[in-house]
Amino acid sequence: MSTPPSDWEVVIGLEVHVQLHTRAKVFASSPWGFGKEPNEQVDPVVLGLPGTLPVVNREAVEKSILFGLVVGASVPEHCSWDRKNYFYPDNPKNYQLTQKDFPVVVGGQVEIELPGASRNVMGEHKFIRIHHAHLEEDVGKLSHAGSGSLVDYNRAGVPLLEIVTEPDLRSSAEAEAFLRSLVAMLTQAGVADCDMEKGQLRCDCNVSIRRRGAEKLGTRTETKNLNSISSVRDTVIYETARQIRELEAGRSITQETRGWNAELARGYVLRDKEDAHDYRYFPDPDIPTLKISRETVARLAKLAPENLYDRQRRYVDKLGLPYTAASVLVHDRALAEWFELAVAAHPANPSGIANLVANDLLRDLAASAGAAGADNESAPAPILLASCPIKPAQLAGLVKLTDEGVISKQQAKEVFTEMFKSGQDAAAIVDAKGLRQNSDTGELEKIVQEVIADPAVAKSIAEYRAGNEKAINALKGPIMKRTQGKANPVLIDQLLRKFLG
Amino acid sequence: MAEGFDIDHLAKLARLSLTAEEKALYSSQLNQILGHFQALAEADLPATIDDARVVNEAALRSDEPGPVLGADAVTRIAPASRDGQISVPRVVDDES
Repeated sequence: MSTPPSDWEVVIGLEVHVQLHTRAKVFASSPWGFGKEPNEQVDPVVLGLPGTLPVVNREAVEKSILFGLVVGASVPEHCSWDRKNYFYPDNPKNYQLTQKDFPVVVGGQVEIELPGASRNVMGEHKFIRIHHAHLEEDVGKLSHAGSGSLVDYNRAGVPLLEIVTEPDLRSSAEAEAFLRSLVAMLTQAGVADCDMEKGQLRCDCNVSIRRRGAEKLGTRTETKNLNSISSVRDTVIYETARQIRELEAGRSITQETRGWNAELARGYVLRDKEDAHDYRYFPDPDIPTLKISRETVARLAKLAPENLYDRQRRYVDKLGLPYTAASVLVHDRALAEWFELAVAAHPANPSGIANLVANDLLRDLAASAGAAGADNESAPAPILLASCPIKPAQLAGLVKLTDEGVISKQQAKEVFTEMFKSGQDAAAIVDAKGLRQNSDTGELEKIVQEVIADPAVAKSIAEYRAGNEKAINALKGPIMKRTQGKANPVLIDQLLRKFLG
Repeated sequence: MAEGFDIDHLAKLARLSLTAEEKALYSSQLNQILGHFQALAEADLPATIDDARVVNEAALRSDEPGPVLGADAVTRIAPASRDGQISVPRVVDDES
């Protein structure tokens, strides 16, 4: 009988390659960007032509340091670059400039959140340690046509931060959660855009299995060049099942480099480039060791945004937000900051504001982006918020009117829709539409007394008097009905309590 | 001293085809070079970073895009090209 899979533990480590958000390349001044004609973004330094010298891009270094600060890593006093030598046409110089011995970022950790039992329940949190991150250059792109291959060097020399984790991940869900968390951190800090469709984030995934409780790590395989979070998740699932099958059949795992075919959802052994691992690294003689001043580190530390899970805890614990709303807001820095501006304008009801932002505002923003014919329905909030017709203080104004009982929650939805169309203040719309609720006590007192006198509600009154607080709500409906929904609910509640004693 | 390398392996990595005489000559020269480094490694030196090779951030490049060569110029210096790309013998990582 075969051992159930739960007897095995999977151990995963990731190497995440992220293109940094810069205008020029990392050692050359050539610009770079997605979707340009082949070889139009290449200069002599990128090609390593005779007489050229690489000079490190300050922005690439600072973005790398900022990443380090975001994950709580240490930024060493010195970092340096090495040559990784290999012959392959994606590499115009026959070596890649990378950092082997003295990387720019050492240590750090990324907090992750696993899916909860349902959408409104927060899942388990865990910290994944970062071993180091080094700043290197991306390589060119190969495409295969007939008997030959074609090379485009536009991507060669693009700043690439390789983030290497410790083998701390224990499931495909953890790998997925890690990447989502990492992407949020990188984009919120402005370090990288992480657009996976443009190849701005690529992963190598190391997987091994061992018997649960065992200390020693099993033999690992490395699946290279995964270009989406789902590919990483699928690779882990596939590779775990494959390794279990091999070991349970009495075979052993070969340490090998593998590829992933996303269309067929299966892995395969990469034909080993002979001597591929003999890179003969040595310090690059063209690039001096860089001393990173503590002033620079301190300046960059001020740019590091609040960690998304610290923000989430603050929203839930201090502002009293439901987890569902908090978790939607924190994944997008622009959206979270928009929300906080609204809260600053009306601090009494953060949850009311959060619900409108996380539900109504996001829905209408996405819909208007879609209606505009733009292919950016899933565009990040900064882009959408820039064209948002409602300003944070205006949304706060709407929530305030609701809280004061001037309009009902139902009416607030209607006013919101109107605000989104016209950009007007909530109060102006409420007045123009004559939505102000009736706060005339005299008239309302009469209606309340009439409703209480109605024998149809006698049972509810008796229950309320017997201590069932909720029974009072049954009386509010008929009152609202008789005032065409214009009565101030706060006032109704007060009057009912007064008359029912 | 004993050779710490395999000359055939090194020649292969460097894509060099060497005659027996060349192998003997370069092995001996490489041994001398490695001997120098061995001497350096054995010297009792303070474990500090060589200040002469250290620069501060003033030596970094600003993130300003500069001129590019253009695809014509890039492909012109390659032995073969097609549609603005450099053409090379087929190299494959594909599933096979």
